Amino acid sequence: MATILTADDTATMRQMISFTLSSAGHQVMQASDGTEALALARTRKFDLVIADINMPNMDGISLVKSLRELPDYKFTPILMLTTESQAEKRQEGRSAGATGWIVKPFNPEQLLTIVKKVLG
Amino acid sequence: MNPLSQLRRVVRESTALTKWWIWAILGAVGAWTWNLFYVPVEVAIGTGILTLVSAVLIGLVGYRLMDRSKIANVDTAPAPDVTLHDELESLLAKAAETPDPMPQVDELLHSMATEQQKRNLEGLLRRWVDVAQRYGDATLSLRKQIHAVTDQVDQAATTIANSFQAVIQKATIQARQAMELLEGTQGGATDGTPQSLKDFIRVSDERLTRMADEVVRVADLSIKMVEELDAVQKRTQAIDGFLVDVEKLADQTNLLALNADIEAARAGDQGRGFSVVAQEVRRLSKRSHEFSDRIRHHLHEVRESLNKTYGDMRNLSAADARHALKIKDEVIQLTRSLDGKNREVAQTVSSINSISREISQDVQNVVMSLQFHDITSQQLNGMLEPLDELRRTLFHLMQETLKLDRSLLEGLPGDDKWLARTRDGHRLDSEVSAVTSEAASAPVAAVAAAKQDATGTGPAVELF
Repeated sequence: MATILTADDTATMRQMISFTLSSAGHQVMQASDGTEALALARTRKFDLVIADINMPNMDGISLVKSLRELPDYKFTPILMLTTESQAEKRQEGRSAGATGWIVKPFNPEQLLTIVKKVLG
Repeated sequence: MNPLSQLRRVVRESTALTKWWIWAILGAVGAWTWNLFYVPVEVAIGTGILTLVSAVLIGLVGYRLMDRSKIANVDTAPAPDVTLHDELESLLAKAAETPDPMPQVDELLHSMATEQQKRNLEGLLRRWVDVAQRYGDATLSLRKQIHAVTDQVDQAATTIANSFQAVIQKATIQARQAMELLEGTQGGATDGTPQSLKDFIRVSDERLTRMADEVVRVADLSIKMVEELDAVQKRTQAIDGFLVDVEKLADQTNLLALNADIEAARAGDQGRGFSVVAQEVRRLSKRSHEFSDRIRHHLHEVRESLNKTYGDMRNLSAADARHALKIKDEVIQLTRSLDGKNREVAQTVSSINSISREISQDVQNVVMSLQFHDITSQQLNGMLEPLDELRRTLFHLMQETLKLDRSLLEGLPGDDKWLARTRDGHRLDSEVSAVTSEAASAPVAAVAAAKQDATGTGPAVELF
């Protein structure tokens, strides 16, 4: 099973993501903003990153850009999990290097399906 | 429009700006009227002319001081009869050309009008400051309340999420334990010990059946033994018959010996030796009899023992058979009841399975619902941005106002707090920025979330 990093400033969201993924046997680590997520990503290699867009200190888009600069995360799948759903924002995420886009609230089953798909 | 109505309108317009000259005219006319009661007619006519002249003069001055453009604006429809208006116009034009007949009065009146305007402006400023202060305070308390609400919702949601996770973990453990208990491990028994109820039923059924069979076999065996004993008994009876024959032989031998002894006595000395042999034979016969008696005695004892054993055996075998049948019945019943229990267990297992499926559906719903906390708090936080904008605008407008003339705001009632705060500009700015930075990213999200409803939205899940 995979090691997954999740970044969201809302504790409840982190809990729900962690709970859903743990139930499928994944190991999940949590970060409360982009800076913390980036620091965690440097300490070890995660198989997948799930990040919110609107976070204090460092937002999700900047996090994706910073992660893509790290050699370890060039091809690691990164999913955006956010309340944003307009096409411009999606385009922004796509050009930053995000692998996929999930609009909150997520359906646990759907999240597991998409995680399975991107992990290959 | 007749001159009277025009005059009336001029008076009406005039009262809105300056009232002093109307009051002067009215005062003069009033004084003259009051005079009528006390002075002779000639004097009254004289003072009447004087009063009229002074009233006209006062009226002309007052009219000149009025905002002429305002009157022109109001007077949109051209008056058919404009004699008085023309007259006033010409008088005003003359007054403008010629040096002011009363420069001190004009100056005084002008300064009075300015004073009035200043007072009006002061009133407006007072109202504006009051409004700004109240709305500034209202936005601040609204912001605090929104924060309190989001904090409380945060705490509640976190508690709910924690409890929910704990409940799910416990439920999962409980279900697993119940399943283990009911279903048994999948590996099954390798050392012959039963590990599930099904196994237990099977093993105990096997063993109990084997035991019952064993008991039946033992019962069969004891019946056979009884038969054997029967045969042995019959054989001892035969031996008894043989002993009678032996005794008969001994009796005959004794009789023969007696006869031989008699014949030996008759033969005299020649027969003496024969008599010794006859006595020996008799003695042998006697011992033979004794043997026979002892054998019979032993045989009797054997037979008695056999009889007893025979009886015991019969009882035993009958009890064994009954016991075996009873055990077999009990085993069948036990197996049957265990089977029933097992069916109940199977039903429970399937019901646990369906409950687990329901729980997992509920879990999905809860996971989705709990995420709404994130969305609603973002939306709430989004309300802060317009509020802060309002506060900032109010603050800057207040500062602009104060730049005009601080003295205007001094001593206004009810504005001490706001005035003190506006003077301490840095403090207010930091207050605003402090509350804004708390929700630095939230407003953007909320605005986006608000937009989300209006603009076209994409799919909930998308892979690039």
